Order: sequence, then structure tokens, then C-alpha cells
Amino acid sequence: MARSRREETVPHWLLHAVLIVVTLIAVYPILWVLTIAFSGKQSLALVDLPAVPTAADRLRAVVPWPDHPNATNFVSVMKDQPFARWLVNGAIVALATTVLGIFLACTAGYAFSRFRFPGRRAGLMSFLVSQMFPGVLTLIPLYIILVKWLGLGSTRTGLVLVYTTTAIPFCVWMLKGYFDTIPKDLEEAALIDGASAPTIFLRIVLPLAKPAIAVTALFCFLTGWNEFILAATLMDKENMYTAPVGLRFFVGGFSQQWGYFAAGAIIVSIPVVALFFYLQKYLVSGLTAGGVKG
Amino acid sequence: MRKTRPQGFRFFVGLAVASALAIGLAYALLAGERRQTESARDQRLAVVRLRALTEAVEISTAPGETGLQPLLIEWKARLKDSPPARVIVTQGIRLEASTFPQDVGEKAAPRRLAREEKPLFDQAARLRAAVETNRSEGAQRVEEIEVARTPSGGLGLAAPIEKEGAVVGMVQMETVSVAHAAHPNRAVALLYFAAPVALFVLLSGVAGERKWLLALLAAVLLVGALARYTQHSRTVLESDQRGLVTAVAGEIRVQAAALPGILAAVSAPPGIHPETWDSDLFRRPRGIVSADGSVSEESLRGVIDSSAVPVEKAIAGVGILALAVLSFLGFGGAAHLWATLRKHREAYVYITPAMLGMIVLVFFPFLYGVAISFTDQTIYTTSKPLTEIWTGLTNYAQILGDFHMARRAADGALVFNYLNFYWTFFFTVVWTVSNVTIGVSVGLLLALILNTPGLALRPVYRVLLILPWAVPNYITALIWKGMFHQQFGVINQMIQIFGGQPVSWFEKPFSSFVTALATNGWLSFPFMMVISLGALQSIPAEIYEAARVEGATRWQQFKAITLPSLKPALIPAIIISVVWTFNMFNIIFLVTEGEPASSTEILITQAYKFAFQKYRYGYAAAYSVVIFLILLVYGTVQNRATRATEAI
Repeated sequence: MARSRREETVPHWLLHAVLIVVTLIAVYPILWVLTIAFSGKQSLALVDLPAVPTAADRLRAVVPWPDHPNATNFVSVMKDQPFARWLVNGAIVALATTVLGIFLACTAGYAFSRFRFPGRRAGLMSFLVSQMFPGVLTLIPLYIILVKWLGLGSTRTGLVLVYTTTAIPFCVWMLKGYFDTIPKDLEEAALIDGASAPTIFLRIVLPLAKPAIAVTALFCFLTGWNEFILAATLMDKENMYTAPVGLRFFVGGFSQQWGYFAAGAIIVSIPVVALFFYLQKYLVSGLTAGGVKG
Repeated sequence: MRKTRPQGFRFFVGLAVASALAIGLAYALLAGERRQTESARDQRLAVVRLRALTEAVEISTAPGETGLQPLLIEWKARLKDSPPARVIVTQGIRLEASTFPQDVGEKAAPRRLAREEKPLFDQAARLRAAVETNRSEGAQRVEEIEVARTPSGGLGLAAPIEKEGAVVGMVQMETVSVAHAAHPNRAVALLYFAAPVALFVLLSGVAGERKWLLALLAAVLLVGALARYTQHSRTVLESDQRGLVTAVAGEIRVQAAALPGILAAVSAPPGIHPETWDSDLFRRPRGIVSADGSVSEESLRGVIDSSAVPVEKAIAGVGILALAVLSFLGFGGAAHLWATLRKHREAYVYITPAMLGMIVLVFFPFLYGVAISFTDQTIYTTSKPLTEIWTGLTNYAQILGDFHMARRAADGALVFNYLNFYWTFFFTVVWTVSNVTIGVSVGLLLALILNTPGLALRPVYRVLLILPWAVPNYITALIWKGMFHQQFGVINQMIQIFGGQPVSWFEKPFSSFVTALATNGWLSFPFMMVISLGALQSIPAEIYEAARVEGATRWQQFKAITLPSLKPALIPAIIISVVWTFNMFNIIFLVTEGEPASSTEILITQAYKFAFQKYRYGYAAAYSVVIFLILLVYGTVQNRATRATEAI
């Protein structure tokens, strides 16, 4: 390709230099947490420095590689600490949120997409506006409703109900959009063949919407799995903590069990990171589609 | 064509339903109030006895004490159907006297309390603590008389014994349960329900099919019947209250007549105060019954009003509700609604489960939160009705009307008031703007680099650079919190490699802000990078080709081609990340924790702390409503702005 004189491109080695520096910054905290997890110690420092450290000692103290790599932190966080229980709590809550969220979002999304009824527009708009409610405002009444009125404080049921309603608006809008793209002819044909309305919904529409349902499911799961503040507020009892609250328990306040935290953080993050990479193209398009559309 | 029912029939059904609703609810309200009076009666009588006995105990433990067992025996003997009682003295953990049937023989008082009787000692200690708390706070916060239901249905009561201003023990007693049957008259209620309906049937013939006349007739009948029933309720409640006060006065007379004799029998000095016996659970006399057991008519009026007026107000509310039901049914609203529901039955069936969840756990909490914002609710007052703690716009005035952002300290230095709303708002704006700027500039720069054609290792860089976005953000926050640790954190180690001094990051507002900024910058640039990269890759290469042919410089190409094509993707991304950053609870809450002295709180974490660390629910709710309004304004403005850009 012929280049004009004025069009000087930046040399590639410079671009690589910038990219390497930024990548190091991006990866360093992750390497840091891995190092602590595999160090077998609870300490926050990567190495124990002598009283009068030399420059080489100090350099060693920031290199993210453990002195004696071992997995004792992983073993003891699962066996000696109640972390396994917190993981199970978190998983139950996240899975129940997923199941309930899909059920509610599919039915509501289908109705919003297929039927024209009084209140449709108001319903859709109210779902959208509800995304603007500050969490703290609803947190106080939710605390009163769930803990004082319904007696669901420190229960998984309470948390599942709250998470589901948190996730519903996004899921409904997303599924509605997808249902809109499924041609109505199919359903009309089935109707002529004598299929009932529930059959059409279950046998024809839902199978066609599988990709969107998968994304909805993952979104619901991540909502339940990653949520921190509601769980920290509603779950008072230590044995009912979810994984995020448990991780904070290791290093919050006066507790300094960084080894347990690091090992736990890695266990919690692996499914999330895996899902994330699988999902990211949907996430990006889902988040910005509303704005880009003319 | 739907057959329209005659107007008269609709109003007949409307009146029947509304009347049943109104009288039914009014009956329930009356029944509830009567039940309360009944259970208050047991408690009031028991408290009079307890207080009388406690006073006798206090008098006879005066100098030259003779032991309390004779007093209790004498009290039980002279006053028939007196409940069994105990006297516990905390000093020496002693059971000083007892007339409980189980405390005989080996266990007879006076003796030391046994191990399994620890709850009694704990109760005495609790009462002493309650009295001391109230006295030191100068308020009546903790109840000084404990009342609880016993398993057998009676009441267990305990009151502190005071000697020379200090609590030395307690008197405890257990009453047996008394059966009550105090239903309001059902036949009367039925009559008040049936009468207006029957009258309507008779009179509607006169009104014919004139809609407004029928409506007026039904409304008058409904309101009339309800008003009469309200009068009936007051009569019932008045006689209840009179009965209660008479019973209390009678008990006081009985005790006052017997006590001097009992005290003389155990050779204790006289001097009783019967007017103080009828008291509330903070031992404050109610002042209705005087020392000689007579009742003042004036204070009795007040008592009756305080019982009847809330019921009357509630019935008035019920009346408004019933009128609404009447007009809804009568004017055909219900029929219309029913027809709509039937017509779109399927849609509503599909929508109901999700809508129900949203209403119960999103919309209702939101409205309830807005209501709380007009009260001064705290953790102690969650069980009180909101109307009792209603303060109107006080919270909002406190939040928005406080302009004391800084003051001069004694040495002339400027001291900021970090709890001030405007400071936090200012900080939140600075926080949002700097984060979004960092995110967009770093993300865009990286996207431009990664979009360079022919650059080696692009997919590797891309995956590694997205990693920070994939890590759950609360984990990110805790990791960075650890890395910024003053003594062991790697960041201070790095500073020391270059000969610097370790920084106490969380002791100065600015350095604390830097930690949060670094954390959030780290986790937010990949989003902008991915968005920009997507937009860059969608620009066809031919456009650049054409521009080059025209002789455009690289800068010109960037300005004329790249930026405009980035705009439709970047603007929504910036809008959404402004909202995310504005509400980025986890980073602030976990990294800086607002340190130092709340200077690095953003609005949302500040609201959380008012609610869940200071337990000022009302204030925190008002704070959150203000945040909601800010977001709403932002949403509206950005909606207009983006429409404007789309129009171009």
C-alpha cells in the first residue's frame, strides 16, 4: 500500500510498549491475589521483609510470585472455615433466582410482546423507571417488610425474592425484544392446527427464544451470585452468609485473613470470569442497544 | 352488544357491598378496641396490686426491719384472691420472701436463690438497669415494670424496689388468667348493615332511573348508617372505659383500706400513697384516681376520648373507602373493569406473577420509602404508625437547607463539614466526572491502539485487558483495599523502592479519593475500550481509503471519520457509565469506607450510613429521595440531549 509522506504512523514498538505497561497494570492485582492465595499464609505482604530491607528485598516484595507455592489456603478455607457453606448458600440463592427470574420474565415478556391490553405501556414504562430507584431508598422498606413483617430476615427465600425482582425489569425488556423478532405466523399456523395458547407458548415460542433465555438465565445467576449489599444487610446470621458477604467477613473490620480471602475470591471468580467471557458480546449489545437505536 | 343493567340495580349492589365493607370494618375496629381495653384491664388491676405491695415492702424495709415474709403472708391472708408474690433482693442474691406454693419447706424464704432460679435474679438486674438508664438519660425509654403472659394465660409482673433512691431488688407476682367474652353486639352491626339496603330498595322506586339521584340516595343512606354506628361505638367504648376505671378505683380502695392494718401487724410505719398505684409501665401515675379512691369526671372524659377518637377517625377513613367502592360499583366502573379483564384474560394471566412481585418488592417499598422520608423514623420507632412520627418536610429542610459546609477552627484553619449534603454532592460529581474521564480516555486510547492494522498479539492483549471488567467488583474493591494497606500494601512497597515514604492513604481526603479513583479506573476502562473497539471496527476501511485519496491528514481523518462514527456508540456508553459511577456503592463502601471522617462518601453510601449505621431511617429515606430526583433530572435531560444529537 502506498503511503503519502504526511501520513506518519506511530511505530509498532511504541504501541507495544504502551500496551505492555497497561496490561501489566490490568493484570497485576489479579496476580497479586493469586500470589496470596497460593502463599499458604494469611499475611497481606507478599514476603516478610527483614528489619533493614535492601533495594533487592523491596523489589522482591512487589513481585507477584509466592515463596513456596502451595494450596493450603484453598484446602483450609473450604475445610476449617465455613466458606463451603457460604458458597452453597450463594449457589442456592443464585440458582433459585435464576429459575424464578426466568419463569417471571418469560411470561411477562411474552405478554408485553404479543398482547395489546390496557396498561401495557404503563407496565413497560414502570419497569424502566424502577431501574432508577436508588437501592438505599427501597432497602429500608424492604428491610422492614422482609425482616419485621414477613419474618424472612437471614433466610435464603427472602434474598431470592429480592434478587428476582431486582433482575426482572432488565430481563423482561430483553426477552420482550427477542419475542418481538419471532414471526407471529408460526403461532397463527399452530392456532389453526388447534394448539391451545399455553401449548403454543411452551412448545413453539420458548424453544425459539432459547438464546435469549440463556442470556437471561446467566444475567439472573450473576445478579444473585455477585450481589453484596442486600445480602450484607439482610443476612445477620453467620451461617446464612452468601459468598460475597463471607469474603468481606475475612478482611472487613479488624479481621485480616487475607489468605482465606484470596483463595475464596478465586473460587468465587472462576465461574463469573468464565461466564463473562462467554457472554460479553451479549452484555455489550444488550446494555447499549436501547441507546443506539434510532 | 352487552345488555346494560338498570341503574338502580347497580347502585343496590354497590350500596350492599359498600355497606357490608363499612359496617364490617367498623365492627372489627370496635372489637379490636374492646379487646385492648379488656387486656389492659387485667394489667391495670395487677399493676395496682403490685405497686401497692411494692410500696408496703419499701416502707417495711425501712430501718429496724423485721423481715418481709410476715408482710407477704399477712397481705395474702387479709386480701382474698391476692396472687402469689416474691421479693428478690439483689444484694446476696436472696429470695427475701415468697408466697408461691412451691417455696415451702426446704425452699421456704428467706434463703439464697438456687442456680435454676437465675432468671429471677436476671429480671431484678434488668429492672435496676432500666431504672438507672431512664434516670441517667432523663427520659422514659425502658419500661420499669415488666409484664409478660405466663404459660397458663395469666400475667407475670415485676417491679423494682427502691430504697433511698437506689434499686435494691424487685417484687414479682403471677396472676391467674381471667376469661373474657367481650364481642360487640353482632345483631346491632347486622341491623346497621341491612337498614340502609332495605331503605334503598323502598326509596329507589321513587328515584326511578335517574343516576345522580340514586347515587345521592345511596351515599346518604351509607353515611347515615355509618354515622349512627359510630355513635353506637362511642357509647360502648365509654361504658367499657367507665367500667375499667371503676374497677381500678375499687381495687385501689380495697388495697388502701387493708394496707395500714397489714403494716401495723408487721410493726412497720404507716404512710401510703394510693394515688400513685395506678401507673403506666414507667411507674408514672396516670392521675385518674385520687388517694381516696375517687375518680375525677374530667380526667375520665380524657380517657374515654383517647379510646374512642382513634376508632372514630378510623371509621371515618372506612367511610371514605366505602363511598369510593359505592361509586366504583354504582357508576359502572367495576363492570367496565371486569369486562376488560375478561377480554384480555390471557395477557393478564401471563403478566400477573411478575407484576405482583414487582408491586410487593419494588413499587410498594419505593412508595413506602417516600412516605418514611416525611417522618423521623428511627430503629426504635419502626413499629409506630407513620402518622404518629410524621414530620412533614423537616428532613428535606435539614438536608437541603444546611449550608454550613465549612467553619473556621480556633486557629483559623478551615474545617469542612463532610456530613453536609452539598459537600457530598460536590464530591460525588467530582468522583463521577473524573472516573468517566479516565475511563473514556484510557479506553479510547487502548481501542485506537488495538485497532491498528497488523499489530501483533492483538487477541492476547484484548483478553488480558478485559480481565478487570470480568472480576466481580466487590472483589476488586477488597483487593485494592489490601494493596493500599499502609504497612504491608504493595503500593507503598513500590513507593519505597524509589526511596519514598509510605503513605497513609486513608488519612487525608485527597489520597483517600485517589485510592477509590485508581480502583474504579482499573475496573471501568475495559468497558469503554470494548465499546470503542466495536465502533471502530464497524467503520469500513474504504472510507479512510477515500479520505487518503483526497489527501486528508491522519488528524483530519480522526476528526472527520473516527470521532463521528464513535459518537453513536460512545454517548450511550458514557450516559450509562455516569449513572453506574454515580451509584458505585461497592467501591466507596469497601475501599475508602468514607474515611477520613466521611469526606469521601458519595451520596449513595452516605444515605446507606444514615440508615444502617446511624439508624435514622426517615432522614436516610429523604436523602435517597433527593438522590432519586437528581437521577430523574439527569435522565430527563440526557434523554432530551441524546434526542437532539440524533436529530443532527
